[in-house]
Amino acid sequence: MPEQVTEGPAAAVRVEGLWKRFGEQVAVAGVDLVLPAGRFVGLVGPNGAGKTTTLSMVTGLLRPDGGRVEVVGHDVWRDPAAVKARIGVLPEGLRLFERLSGRELLAYTGRLRGLPGDEVDKRAAQLLDVLDLAGARDKLVVDYSTGMRKKIGLAAALLHNPEVLFLDEPFEGVDPVSAQTIRGVLERYTGSGATVVFSSHVMELVESLCDWVAVMAAGRIRAQGTLADVRGGAGSLQEAFLELVGAVGRDTGESLDWLGGAR
Amino acid sequence: MTLTGVFVRLKLSLLRNGLRQSAGRTAAYVVSAVLAVLCGAGLVLALVVLRGSEHAATVAVLLTGLLAVAWAVMPLFFPSGDETLDPTRLVMLPLQPGPLVRALLVSSLVGFGPLFTLCLAVGSAVALSRGAFAAVVAVVAVPLVLLVCVALARAVAAGNVRLLTSRRGRDLAVLSGLVIAVGIQFVNFGVQRLGRAGGLSALDPAAEVVRWVPPASAVAAVGSAGEGRYGEAAAGLLLSAAALGALLYAWRRSLVKLMTAPDGSTLAAASRPSRAGSPGWRWPEGRAGTVVGRSLRYVVRDPKTKAAWVTSLAIGLIVPLFNALQGTGSVYLACFSAGMLGILMYNQFGQDASAFWMVALTISSARDAYAELRARALALTVITLPFVVLVTGVTAAVLGDWWALPGALGLSFGVLGAMLGTGAVASSLFPYSIPQDSGFKNVAPGQAGLAWISLTGGMVAAALLCAPLVALTVWLDATTGPAGRLLLLVLGAGWGTLLTWAGLRLAAPRTADRLPEILAAVSRG
Repeated sequence: MPEQVTEGPAAAVRVEGLWKRFGEQVAVAGVDLVLPAGRFVGLVGPNGAGKTTTLSMVTGLLRPDGGRVEVVGHDVWRDPAAVKARIGVLPEGLRLFERLSGRELLAYTGRLRGLPGDEVDKRAAQLLDVLDLAGARDKLVVDYSTGMRKKIGLAAALLHNPEVLFLDEPFEGVDPVSAQTIRGVLERYTGSGATVVFSSHVMELVESLCDWVAVMAAGRIRAQGTLADVRGGAGSLQEAFLELVGAVGRDTGESLDWLGGAR
Repeated sequence: MTLTGVFVRLKLSLLRNGLRQSAGRTAAYVVSAVLAVLCGAGLVLALVVLRGSEHAATVAVLLTGLLAVAWAVMPLFFPSGDETLDPTRLVMLPLQPGPLVRALLVSSLVGFGPLFTLCLAVGSAVALSRGAFAAVVAVVAVPLVLLVCVALARAVAAGNVRLLTSRRGRDLAVLSGLVIAVGIQFVNFGVQRLGRAGGLSALDPAAEVVRWVPPASAVAAVGSAGEGRYGEAAAGLLLSAAALGALLYAWRRSLVKLMTAPDGSTLAAASRPSRAGSPGWRWPEGRAGTVVGRSLRYVVRDPKTKAAWVTSLAIGLIVPLFNALQGTGSVYLACFSAGMLGILMYNQFGQDASAFWMVALTISSARDAYAELRARALALTVITLPFVVLVTGVTAAVLGDWWALPGALGLSFGVLGAMLGTGAVASSLFPYSIPQDSGFKNVAPGQAGLAWISLTGGMVAAALLCAPLVALTVWLDATTGPAGRLLLLVLGAGWGTLLTWAGLRLAAPRTADRLPEILAAVSRG
């Protein structure tokens, strides 16, 4: 059973009855979520579960058909100024301003957020250093590799020191070295009391990083709670997940008996 | 089945699949196919009619030369136009270069382009051939022309795959739309010139040179044979045949190299860090300077933005200036330049594509949206204002009509202001996606109506808003002296500023309210 979350300011994100339809297709069908502050939260689910749609609505990039979203106590749609100042976002599948260099992208983002120029440049230089992008800081983002793009996106999301960080598939297509760098930065960030919410379909990753998990399938939340709660009696999060989304007992290829047989 | 057979079938299925797309695309496909066939038939007819005319050789030779240039340039402009053109797709298959070249060459002969070329070659041969020997030469020349054209396209494509698959190559392809847009203007004025300069005989010197360039040399050979100059005929044919051989050899070599060496993307990633301009240049504080800085960088670095700018600048210069040079213009035509550049204010957020989310996350009030839109208008003004002044001044100088300059400037400022204002409103109410990877599509599928409403509605509104200014200009121009003309300049500038301000004020709250809708609309490309 999900752990009962204490009411009040402890919740970083509170979602009630969130709905989104695209034509006939229901992408998100009544999501209720309470994500505690100061945790490393994983939103897991198979492809098409509605993770990206949910995160887009929570961050104010997509208008929901119904429901309420609160981030650190502020309504995303009624008080956008308070929310936008407190969140950092790294969406999946949306471009960056790729014809800027890494350094220019950070300079641009920070100044749009209203930070003083000197402070922006100082933080940008440090972030580029820590994320191992210093050597590519004057290269155009369009020439970056996937891992480098995720890292510069993360840097842009962290620049204004947000309270809650939303990352959509931050490790997708990222090489192990970059992944380790991203991990290190995120762990230090949550250690300071900030909240990270990230989506993924790699269970091992979620299991090793997160202390709070929400499992999503077919537009609904199937389970949410601490990692131990969600895992329950199953041996690993992977097994618990397959059970939750109802993918246990499928034909795993026994009918392909010719594969690997005599050639 | 032989390899050649497989490739020809592949090409036929690709052509057939062109018919199986969505209704709109099928219609476009059928229309372009019918158009190609009609043009080809018309060309044959025209050339046959030319038979016996003294200009027949000139026309046939130059048309063939032009067509060959088109074949050579085509793969650079449409790198994704023909899937069988990209040999890197075949790398994993166990194929020998010899049979592969043969198969690709034969399959290249299938399609509307080759059909059109065949029409031209046959038409030229018919127009030029006189006598039995010329007919024999024609039978050799026609397939030779076709093969040289196709091999030329293939060799250019294979030789440049490395360029075309790199980012720089794709940027180049996006810029190609611009070459065509501006080129059409030049051709237009060139044809007007030719019309007055005494007709086709003006082209004879060009034809004298082109007749020795393959594949036009094969067409010229038909004419030479008809006139009894057998040596010339043989030389022409030989030249084309040698060119075919050389092209096939070059093509084969680059194919082998392509299939055994690492591809362009690997090489590009491994070497050559892109230069990103002036690292020493400091970004200014606040949204205004930051947004202007970003917008101006995009004018230089983003091929799509650059293409739009260069097209607007070039056409905005060519139309008033060339008309003035031909003595038919008026200084007031320079307002066209202001209108042309003002179009760039339309669909501002569509120009960001899905990167608009980065902007959306920093806008949480109408005030933020106003600052953003104002900065974008400012970035536009930084370039357009001096340019409009320059074009108006030069036009006035060419026409020697300095009297009209202040009035024309005032009107230009008014038009520019109206376009900026209506452009801001249209940007927030009717945003649409601009496909980033194509030099020719400026609207994503399904949003053409939206784009049309945005541009047409906006321009009609801008015209109406400028109507009082136009009326005033016409009235004062006829009645007033120097003071009145200066008044026109001041009034125009003031009216333009007012319209821009009002447009931004109107657009800002709507932009702030519609951020998710705008993001959804511009992320389709």
